[in-house]
Amino acid sequence: MTPPHAGGEAFLQARELSKSFFGVKVLKEVGFTLDKGEVLGLVGENGSGKSTAMNILGGIHQPDSGQMTLAGKPYRPTGPKDAQRAGLAFIHQELNLFENLSIEENVFISGFPKRRGLPLINRRKIGKETKRLLDLVDLGHPPGTRVGKLSQGERQLVEIAKALGFDAKVIIFDEPTTSLSRRESEKLFTIVGRLKAQGIGVIYISHILGDVLRVCDSVQVLRDGAVAGGGPRASMSIDKIISMMVGRKIGNLFPPRESHPGEVVLDVAGLTQPGVVKDVSLSLRSGEVLGVSGLMGAGRSELARILFGLDPFKSGTITVEREPLENPSPEICMARGLAFLTEDRRAEGLLMEASIRDNVALSSLNSYARGLSHRLSWPKLDRDVAEVSDKVKVNTSDYIRMLVKHLSGGNQQKVVFAKWLLRQPSIFILDEPTRGIDVGAKLEVYKIINQLVLDGAAILFISSEMEELIGMCDRIMVMNRGEVTGFHERGDFDGERILETAMSVGLREPEQADRKER
Amino acid sequence: MSGFTPRITRRAFTIGSLLAAGTAGLPIMVKAQEGKTVALLFDSLVSPFWVTGIEIMREEAAKRGWETLEAISNFDDNRQFEQVRAMIEREVDGILIIQTDANAVIPAIREANAAGIPMVHFNRPPAESDAYSVAIQADNRAIMRETVQFLVDEAKRIGGTYKAAILIGDLGDVNAIQRRDGFFDIVDQNKDIIEVVSRISTEWNADKAFAGLTNALQANPDINFLVTSSDFLHPQIEQALKIAGKWNKRGEEGHVLFAGFDGDEGAYQRLLDGFLDACGVQNLFLEVDMAFGAFTDLWAGEKPEKLLLDPGFVITQDNLEETRDAMWGFSVWKNQQG
Amino acid sequence: MPIDAAETPVDTKVEIPKVRAFRRLLERLILSEYLVFYITGVYFLIVWPIVPEIASFSSLRNILTDMLPLLVVAIGQTFVLIVAGIDLSVTGVIAMASVVGASIMTSDGGYLQGSALAIPVGIIAFLVVGGLIGGFNGWCVTRLNMPPIIVTLTGMMFLGGAAIWFTKAHSPTSSIAGLPRAFVAIGGGTFAGVPIALFVAIAVVVVAHFLLSQTVFGRWLYAIGINPKAAKVSGVPVDKAILWAFVISGVCAAITSMLLTGRLETGTPVLGQRILLDIIAAVVIGGTSLAGGKGKIIWTVGGVLFLVTIDASLKLLGSSLFIVFAVKGGVILLAVGLDAMRQRILARGSG
Repeated sequence: MTPPHAGGEAFLQARELSKSFFGVKVLKEVGFTLDKGEVLGLVGENGSGKSTAMNILGGIHQPDSGQMTLAGKPYRPTGPKDAQRAGLAFIHQELNLFENLSIEENVFISGFPKRRGLPLINRRKIGKETKRLLDLVDLGHPPGTRVGKLSQGERQLVEIAKALGFDAKVIIFDEPTTSLSRRESEKLFTIVGRLKAQGIGVIYISHILGDVLRVCDSVQVLRDGAVAGGGPRASMSIDKIISMMVGRKIGNLFPPRESHPGEVVLDVAGLTQPGVVKDVSLSLRSGEVLGVSGLMGAGRSELARILFGLDPFKSGTITVEREPLENPSPEICMARGLAFLTEDRRAEGLLMEASIRDNVALSSLNSYARGLSHRLSWPKLDRDVAEVSDKVKVNTSDYIRMLVKHLSGGNQQKVVFAKWLLRQPSIFILDEPTRGIDVGAKLEVYKIINQLVLDGAAILFISSEMEELIGMCDRIMVMNRGEVTGFHERGDFDGERILETAMSVGLREPEQADRKER
Repeated sequence: MSGFTPRITRRAFTIGSLLAAGTAGLPIMVKAQEGKTVALLFDSLVSPFWVTGIEIMREEAAKRGWETLEAISNFDDNRQFEQVRAMIEREVDGILIIQTDANAVIPAIREANAAGIPMVHFNRPPAESDAYSVAIQADNRAIMRETVQFLVDEAKRIGGTYKAAILIGDLGDVNAIQRRDGFFDIVDQNKDIIEVVSRISTEWNADKAFAGLTNALQANPDINFLVTSSDFLHPQIEQALKIAGKWNKRGEEGHVLFAGFDGDEGAYQRLLDGFLDACGVQNLFLEVDMAFGAFTDLWAGEKPEKLLLDPGFVITQDNLEETRDAMWGFSVWKNQQG
Repeated sequence: MPIDAAETPVDTKVEIPKVRAFRRLLERLILSEYLVFYITGVYFLIVWPIVPEIASFSSLRNILTDMLPLLVVAIGQTFVLIVAGIDLSVTGVIAMASVVGASIMTSDGGYLQGSALAIPVGIIAFLVVGGLIGGFNGWCVTRLNMPPIIVTLTGMMFLGGAAIWFTKAHSPTSSIAGLPRAFVAIGGGTFAGVPIALFVAIAVVVVAHFLLSQTVFGRWLYAIGINPKAAKVSGVPVDKAILWAFVISGVCAAITSMLLTGRLETGTPVLGQRILLDIIAAVVIGGTSLAGGKGKIIWTVGGVLFLVTIDASLKLLGSSLFIVFAVKGGVILLAVGLDAMRQRILARGSG
């Protein structure tokens, strides 16, 4: 590791933290330092160990080895309460606010000031105090406003006010800008600058490297659970950070593939569902990967769900292999050769409490049923499950007893792939197929996708990672607020331009206005 | 044992104490070599009538040197059937049963017949069948006749004409039908002074009784002759009459001639206070005596009639002092006072 | 404020080997999925010296025949619990099917009194009542998205009342007697010395076990219980499968109703009104999870056997009601406590 501050005792120090889950080392002797009034950027791909490191800091996990010190004293939190008491505040991507409560109630949720000698909440006091805290973060709403009425950015400011309320010495931001408008992001950066001036240490975790370079004093890069590099801002650049993150040139991460698109197998025309998608048209050919880019809430996952018959649509047509797809349901879509890898593996992709075998077999049970009673032919099923699981390299041999919840993210995703491969579908809808899995597993997922394409499958590839889309797709479709705003051909890919079409500021701002009105 | 974690010790303790609780009641029952053992199978203990009943039975059994085994079916006919089989298994000498359903008890009687164990039904006879058992039942119709006759005599003594109301029980219950019939036997003979203006169907439900009586009092504000088929409805009757301004003692202006049936502690209290004029009493003491007597006869090889009637008695303002000791409600009342 | 190192609890488990071996054996027993059978065995051995009659042939036969009606309805409940539902209406089904079936067969003015068709039609009526009510429950749960506990709770209340009303319309007394001997034999008769009810129950056990462990339908049910969303995305006909789980529960309750009605030779609207807790307790004690996704027929057999064994011992004791409730409640709590402990050991084992 290369600590940004070599000499002297830093305010927060972590040394050689290591942690394993189920025998897999996810954190390997990671260390970092943070001074008062310093902003440390922590970057790395999903699965690089950032969240484990932060969970250790927050007392959710305990390290297998390594030490931490805070203000010169040993720091060993055994739960979130310890962390809070020690002066650490976490501002998560999914904000932990109670939408049905007011700002002031949220700020004081973990300990309301009481009236002296009485078990009654001192309303006046919390109102006054909240007002003071809101002024610090430039939020003009009265303390009694219900949090549900605030925009994402405003909610984040409430979280910061809450942290200031219990006198936080260190504030950790986890992907703070992903759901903010540009203007809200700018405001956040101002507040971060103000925190810094007050002597508060900030750890800033983000995928948006431009932001990181802008707000941070120093940057530390994690890769595969270990420190891959870092240093003061002056010595870093986006290119340098990326090469530290992936450990190789981007080009190498995406295995080369020849592209021979064939017939149109999925044709969507004028697909509309009010408030979700508007007039979406696309055509997907066999042997082709069509990427779908866009910001959170652009309607990408919603489009995928409609195509797979999980959600309704009001007008438009879907044609699969020249036959119209009517009244789609997952069963009908599957019968027509579609497969759908959901963005949320845990909630919708897998039976976490079931074995690999049960998961892989789930979508194909009827093909292994005999007779009137649909009795299963176990030996044949087990054989095929093993075969397809081996093919995608699920990293275990006990398919029958190993529960999916005990697998790593990458292996879980391979189980989902195996489930669909067993059906041999011709059209794959992949929604964030590499979310939350490590680099090695990503590479394997890319190889699986390329093999599918070579075998003639058509793939709709939804992803938030620009490099991935550029590296994998034949074409990229961009969505913004439920509408298709452009198509980009391979050879004509330009990350900046794609991002521009995805964000087109003019379209995004009214959304904020809408939200406030609600 | 020093290495045991506290959790296991606690678990062992829990098991131990549960077993202790389970076996605490045992010794009395197991050492029943002398004398006879009789099973008491109740369907519930929800009213003072049954609680008093089981207490009298325990006392009476002890007096005769018999042991008792108890089980309660909680209104579950199937459970009661299983309890009968279990008692047959325990080789008891007799089974006293209070069934929920007159039909559903027949298979249990057959099982007892097959095992040669006498069965006596207390207070509720079974339905007609080829199975043999003895039932003890209050002579509801006769007792009700006598009760209503007292009320009619009172009416004649006071003079004038009367508007009458009766609270009728659940017509699926023979007891309710017999009591209703006993009432009409008498009032029909005295149509010249008594006109029945209201028959309130309670289905043995206190809320229905209250609603029914309230409605009747609104339709006929001049009701002044009231009979209930069971004393457990007294609180509702008192409430309804109070609302109508008719809850008055004997001799006071506007007293409603009022008679009850069963003979519970509330009835005794109201007799004492002068609100109630008469009450038909099931002679619980006599019925227990008859039931146990039936066992003795059956053991002796005799074959008593299938239905034995308790003639009961009527307790009135005139004989309160002399007869109250035979009224089961009085002993409950006495315990409550003491 | 930093947390001092001395404050963190230090694990200091020092155990002598013997205790550890005993502990390990205990853990193995607790971890076994057939735990309830062991508990039943231990309980039996404990009460044996207290009431020796319990081990007699006829007492064991009583335990066997007493458990059959409860077993059949509990098996139906197992299907619903596996899909993370619950069916409280089964007691209503038992009552309703009992009086409807009896009203057709009774010799006191039954619809098919004396006809040769009385018994077959009567039996079909039982099953249809159960199937229809189960189907209605399933329809409400899947189509109207109503919570199963509310749908079936109201079903239980409605049917309990409707059965009484139905009886009043068909009989002057509170129940319907006069059932044909051949029907009554289903509940109380024997064939070659073996209770006919046993054949019925075994058939239900075999079919239910086959459905759950060997068929596509069974896999669907478990998948839905673990994660209905993932099941739906994987093409499982979630609504259809849930609907059928409720139909199976209704039909099983109807079969139980037949066994009980035959046994008591009476169609009565209070039949089974007090056994709801026994049904749910038996299934859960067996090891089936109220949270869904986990359950086996053989476990339910164990749970029912356990409850009925306790019941049998308490009946033989003839002790007062308070002790019966206390002991039964205590033993059930103990069984559920052991299960909670098992979950904790399992979690520790994988953590």
